[in-house]
Amino acid sequence: MTESDDQPWRDPNAQPFLRIKGLSKHFGSVAAVDKVSLDIYRGELFCLLGGSGSGKSTLLRMLAGFESANAGSIEIDGQDMAGVPPYRRPVNMMFQSYALFPHMTVADNIAYGLRRDRLPRADIAKRVDHLLAMVQLADFAKRKPSQLSGGQRQRVALARALAKGPKLLLLDEPLGALDKKLREETQFELMNIQEETGVTFVVVTHDQEEAMTLATRIGVMRDGEIVQVATPREVYEYPNSRFVADFIGSVNLFEGVVSEDGESHMRLDCAGLGTSLYVGHGVSCTLGQRMWLALRPEKLRVSTEKPAQSHNVLQGVVEEIAYMGGSSMLRVRLPSGAQVQVTQANLDRDDAHPVSWDETVFLSWSDTAGVVLPS
Amino acid sequence: MTQGVVARGRAWVAAVPGIWLLVFFLLPFLVVAKLSLSEAAIARPPYLPLWEWDEDYLTITLNLGNYRYLIEDALYINAFLESLRIASVSALMCLLIGYPMAWCIARARPERRNVLLTLVILPFWTSFLLRVYAWIGLLKPNGVINNMLIGAGLIDQPLTLLQTDFAVILGIVYTYLPFLVLPLYANLVKLDGALFEAAEDLGAQPWQTFLTVTLPLSVPGMLAGCLLVFIPAVGEFVIPALLGGADTLMIGKVLWTEFFNNRDWPVASAVAMVMLVVLVLPIMLLRNAQNSSEELA
Amino acid sequence: MKQLPLAALIAASCVAPIASAETLNVYNWSDYIAEDTIEKFTAATGIEVNYDVYDSNEVLEAKMLAGNSGYDIVVPTSDFLQRQISAGAYQPLDKSKLPNLANMDAALMEGLAGYDAGNEHAVIYMWGTTGIGYNVDMINERLGDDAPTDSWALVFDPDVVAKLADCGVSMLDAPTELLPAAMNYLGLDPRSTDKKDFEAGAELLMSVRPHVRYYHSSQYISDLANGDVCVSVGWSGDVFQARDRADEAENGVAVSYVIPKEGALQWFDTMAIPVDAPNPDAAHKFIDFVMDAQITADITNYVWYANGNAASMPLVDEEITSDPGIFPTDAAKANLWASQVYNARQDRNVTRLWTKVKTGQ
Repeated sequence: MTESDDQPWRDPNAQPFLRIKGLSKHFGSVAAVDKVSLDIYRGELFCLLGGSGSGKSTLLRMLAGFESANAGSIEIDGQDMAGVPPYRRPVNMMFQSYALFPHMTVADNIAYGLRRDRLPRADIAKRVDHLLAMVQLADFAKRKPSQLSGGQRQRVALARALAKGPKLLLLDEPLGALDKKLREETQFELMNIQEETGVTFVVVTHDQEEAMTLATRIGVMRDGEIVQVATPREVYEYPNSRFVADFIGSVNLFEGVVSEDGESHMRLDCAGLGTSLYVGHGVSCTLGQRMWLALRPEKLRVSTEKPAQSHNVLQGVVEEIAYMGGSSMLRVRLPSGAQVQVTQANLDRDDAHPVSWDETVFLSWSDTAGVVLPS
Repeated sequence: MTQGVVARGRAWVAAVPGIWLLVFFLLPFLVVAKLSLSEAAIARPPYLPLWEWDEDYLTITLNLGNYRYLIEDALYINAFLESLRIASVSALMCLLIGYPMAWCIARARPERRNVLLTLVILPFWTSFLLRVYAWIGLLKPNGVINNMLIGAGLIDQPLTLLQTDFAVILGIVYTYLPFLVLPLYANLVKLDGALFEAAEDLGAQPWQTFLTVTLPLSVPGMLAGCLLVFIPAVGEFVIPALLGGADTLMIGKVLWTEFFNNRDWPVASAVAMVMLVVLVLPIMLLRNAQNSSEELA
Repeated sequence: MKQLPLAALIAASCVAPIASAETLNVYNWSDYIAEDTIEKFTAATGIEVNYDVYDSNEVLEAKMLAGNSGYDIVVPTSDFLQRQISAGAYQPLDKSKLPNLANMDAALMEGLAGYDAGNEHAVIYMWGTTGIGYNVDMINERLGDDAPTDSWALVFDPDVVAKLADCGVSMLDAPTELLPAAMNYLGLDPRSTDKKDFEAGAELLMSVRPHVRYYHSSQYISDLANGDVCVSVGWSGDVFQARDRADEAENGVAVSYVIPKEGALQWFDTMAIPVDAPNPDAAHKFIDFVMDAQITADITNYVWYANGNAASMPLVDEEITSDPGIFPTDAAKANLWASQVYNARQDRNVTRLWTKVKTGQ
């Protein structure tokens, strides 16, 4: 498998399956979706990630056809969706509330879309049986939704949305109503089903962990705009803005001014820290530009003795320690007053030299651990 | 201590509807039931007592003849059937007119709903009698409707609109329409909008969505609304008296005749008892519908 | 004697008035008293009057039989009076408190004694007949000079009625008055209680049923006045009222009332005191006050119904006393009949036949 098979967005010749161009939606004077352009490829599991009011749900509803665009276009598999009503789109949606028909059995719910297509009765029955088996609800065909648990309802909703074999499946907070443990199990189930069916998924979620786990790529939304589209790893390791860096995972941000701009290194003068930070790769910037260095907490090392390296070392006092099982989280107060967050993997069961409160420690990181952000 | 007080308070609150039912339904019901088993007489009040103490003997005289009477003369059964027919047709007409109204109000923007609901209830602000009399003015041979039709050259002779079953049904539909619209609206407005979107998303055109989702889910509201029209319409007296013809035979009129013309309070009570039994069935249906709708919710 | 079930129903739903020593509660037919009678009574006695009205004997009877009506004076029609007396609804009059009884017409009071032996419980308020009101021009136009305007044939002969169907025929919704009238037209005794006679009368009524526009006891007043119906079986005073309205409207409608030559029902509306009247003393004062010659004459001059007060006759307008529709000639008087009081079985029989006449069931 070549990289472009696995990651079609890296192939300049690949045809996007879903092509969104300059899409806008205004509610009164508010732009819920603002000039969004986005390409999604066949077989992707694409997550739209954002806080409430970021426009992700509106974008999803525009794909389904429930909202019309004020500007821009949507193309699915080469077909323009302008003016196509929801019931004629090759798209199905799994609703956040599941929207199961309360007066129908599980089987009837799943068969609903197939019946609208006037498929032969036997075919429908076969398809429903297959879907019930896929979501492991074969024994629940005759139940009403009110007789199911939350997780079972979620699976019925998924089966119903998949029944017609849509080209595109839209999922609105598919795991939002489940408790944490069930959510983690279901994430993998969802991925398996997506892989099995090969249907392109667009998932809306506000939960960054969920997006990281599920997605082939993530589109981070803010105020109706898409601020970054990338793989989960890229979004985490190479956020393109302080917003993305902060929204996804935890991050320490150090503000500074470019004081050295070399071919393979740069230096940021941080007045707040009273020191300059060294970055071991080139960054496109100009001298004197204000920039930020983003450092993930797990990229920092903690030691009680001053490390050997000459730069990228800060001294501070431990203020808080939170033991979290797999790791521990420390908050270290710097002399400048800034607080830095550090996570340490708990490698041994008995740490011979545990760091304790009010202890003076040194923080250090490698030259390439941080990301320099222009905004 | 306080718990006991709270429990007692709760018991009292729960007892209020019970007392209400006892005073305003059960006691009158028993009085009417008792009356229906006595015998008419020229006396004050005009019937014989049901029981009498004679020294040591308690004599109870139950007269079932009043009920036999209702069976022997086809008039009563025919009047019941005619009342049921007019009430059913009226309820159905109300449903046909009221459903789109309720649906539109439920789908309207929330800030507009109250205005529309007020409009539905607005006729109640004028006297019911006045409104029925207004229909007489509209429907009579030289009334507004006939004059307009003649003026437009559509007819030569005035149509007979007043004093017909049509006028009675029209009057009932007009008067009771809000009783159908309100419960149906309450039912429709509670339905999750996502259900309609889900149906549409799965390929249902708007009319299919209506038939397969909206309609089945509004059955409890339709049932409640229809019964609220049907039940009072069966016993309706004023509307058939004002808008109906001499040959409009409804049980309310028969009851009036028994009570006032024949001054036979026992037979009138028997008619009322049978009417109650006829109406208990729909009321039970209503309760079942309410229970099932609660299950849905 | 008028009927209007609906308005009566509303009146019946009104709360019974509260009585005190200095008030009198009167329950009378609507439009059945002179405009100033009550005012004058209060001026003369200092007793305040609560005045309620009704439109049907049936409603009054329901109240009397139920008891505790709170009224001191009610005005039942003779046949209803009789039944209510036997049910024990009225108290005997204290004639020592009624000096004006001397004003009453002895012959008419004798007639009332047929319902109230010895005139123990009631005195005549007004009296009238149930006859035919008609639109003179419309009848003439359709039937010419041969119009049987002096006979029940005008409303009971199917051939005649058929010719009037287009201009509108109405009848009172009053079985105990229409059936005897039909029996009278057939040559049967209108006071008969024989089932066969009732059925014969009902059959006659059914034969003209297709030509009758409606059965109603008050609507014909305005319809007759406006020319919306051309012939009505109705109560004398009401037909005169229709005639007055037509005159006032100057709409060219001429209404006439006739007591058919075959005969007609003569009825008395009477003043009586309920057995549980809160203020019987004031009630006696009121009855005596109304029996004053001038007061009664005023009422007759206003409502166009005949009274039973001999002393008032010189004070009644000439226009009224000379009208044979109000004060019948002696020849016509001979054919008037008094209403028969039916027992429960006969009542039911008559009502049932009436339902059949109206609905065909």
